[in-house]
Amino acid sequence: MLAAGLGYCLHVRSLEAALVHNWPDELTRDPAIIHFAMSMARPLYAEHCSSCHGRDLRGNHNVGAPDLTDSVWLYGDGDIGDLEASIRYGIRSGHPKAHNVTDMPAEGRSHQLSAAEIHAVIEYVLALSREPHDAAAAERGHKLFYDKGNCYDCHANDAKGNTDYGAPSLLGADSLYGRDRRMLYESVYSGRHGMCPAWAGKLAPVQIRALAVFLYIESHADSSDAPRRLLPEKAP
Amino acid sequence: MSMRPHTTRSMSMLALGALLGLVIAGYGLFTAKGTRSHGVPPEAIVLVNGRPILRSDFITQARTEFATPFAHCTTEQRRKVLEEMIAEELMVQRGLQIDLSSYDADVRAAMVAGVELEVTADVLAEQPSEPQLRDYYERHKSKYVTAGVMRLRDIVSRATGPVSVDQAMSTAREAVAALRTGEPLETVMQRHHLADSGRLMDAGRVDTGDVLEFAAREKLGGEMYGVASTLQAGQISDAIRQSDGVHIIFVIQHRFPVQQEYAAAADQVWTDYKNDALTRVRMANIRYLRSRSDIILSDDARSLEASPR
Repeated sequence: MLAAGLGYCLHVRSLEAALVHNWPDELTRDPAIIHFAMSMARPLYAEHCSSCHGRDLRGNHNVGAPDLTDSVWLYGDGDIGDLEASIRYGIRSGHPKAHNVTDMPAEGRSHQLSAAEIHAVIEYVLALSREPHDAAAAERGHKLFYDKGNCYDCHANDAKGNTDYGAPSLLGADSLYGRDRRMLYESVYSGRHGMCPAWAGKLAPVQIRALAVFLYIESHADSSDAPRRLLPEKAP
Repeated sequence: MSMRPHTTRSMSMLALGALLGLVIAGYGLFTAKGTRSHGVPPEAIVLVNGRPILRSDFITQARTEFATPFAHCTTEQRRKVLEEMIAEELMVQRGLQIDLSSYDADVRAAMVAGVELEVTADVLAEQPSEPQLRDYYERHKSKYVTAGVMRLRDIVSRATGPVSVDQAMSTAREAVAALRTGEPLETVMQRHHLADSGRLMDAGRVDTGDVLEFAAREKLGGEMYGVASTLQAGQISDAIRQSDGVHIIFVIQHRFPVQQEYAAAADQVWTDYKNDALTRVRMANIRYLRSRSDIILSDDARSLEASPR
């Protein structure tokens, strides 16, 4: 009995060591470690992350918490290394290593854009994602995007965003704070300064790595090379 | 009877142990390696004097430096990053060793900024709601008034030399009466030998242009401004006794401050709300740090601390 207990403990320790020791690209090739990471991460996610990102990982427009299942990332490419760094140091968390390059500026409050100009930019943003919009206003917004609004500077010329700055793509059907005109207006008028806490020091390195693996798997569920297929089965 | 040999052996073992201890301590001392851990924790890529460099940081550094996914970084690139990170860690540790933060202004500033950022992160991220902003506006309404503007002259009847204060006061009163009948200012000044007080100056000349109220308060002083602020365009004050003579204020134009509605002041309210919140957090942090610190003040520092704020 004692030997079995000891053996189990050693097995868990070896899996933990392998989880944090292996390079991220090696991890996804090992079903046992992925399974171990997933089972460790689920309760951690529920306890520490779900209040903002939702129990289903679909995010929350009210607090600007992004959907974690869609493989669209604000920072980096969404590989395990990027995710781990974001979880460990956070976003604008106050940690010196956090992602904190820039904010969405308050274009209205700073009087960079007038109310009418902000409405025009919003119509352009809606046009980009082929949603119903006012074509004439969108045309004006298109000009403002590259001109007075300086939006292209972070969101890129093609509006696909820039993951170095945490500037989201404007082409998608979803936005961090929702797609209704009121929320879009608020984002442009008052700016945004979304925050994710740093978990370094609060969670152990192995827990942070497990969460990174968990999010990587969940966000690649639909891709053809989904590591999820390596999993024996999803834990309840 | 049989104790003697055992005692000798014990003493020998003790001496051997002490010698061994000395050898280890000496080795540690002269190789300057101190105590070291031989096992690198699995989450670390290297231990530098016992401090781990995390694999996660190594991956991020390599990615950033070569702008390529870590999996595509070559061995040579990884080696370069590792050496740089070890070098950086060594330099940081050396900086701590020589207590760089006690005298290097840049290091101190960076540390202050780092701590401040950590403390204020939540406040910076907070987006105040509309009811919070309106409540703030109501509580600080007096801040949201447009700047009042005045154009005025401050003339004085000086009490110097043979002219007594009473005589100066009498002259000023006559001048006030004349001005209130509509006589031109320059005529009255000439007749009664009055002069500009010199308090309202701009680049060495008497300022006859618009003056913002806060500037007028600064230039005229509290008592004189108190009188001027109540006067409308074309009104003349009573004679006001001051240390340098008797003054008369003639208000040419006066645009009074106007209370701003919330909608007009909303942007400033937002800024002030955030700034106040930041100040509160910064002050609370300093109070907390002071509460757990042992600060011993010198006598003169104590008197400074006790002086009215």
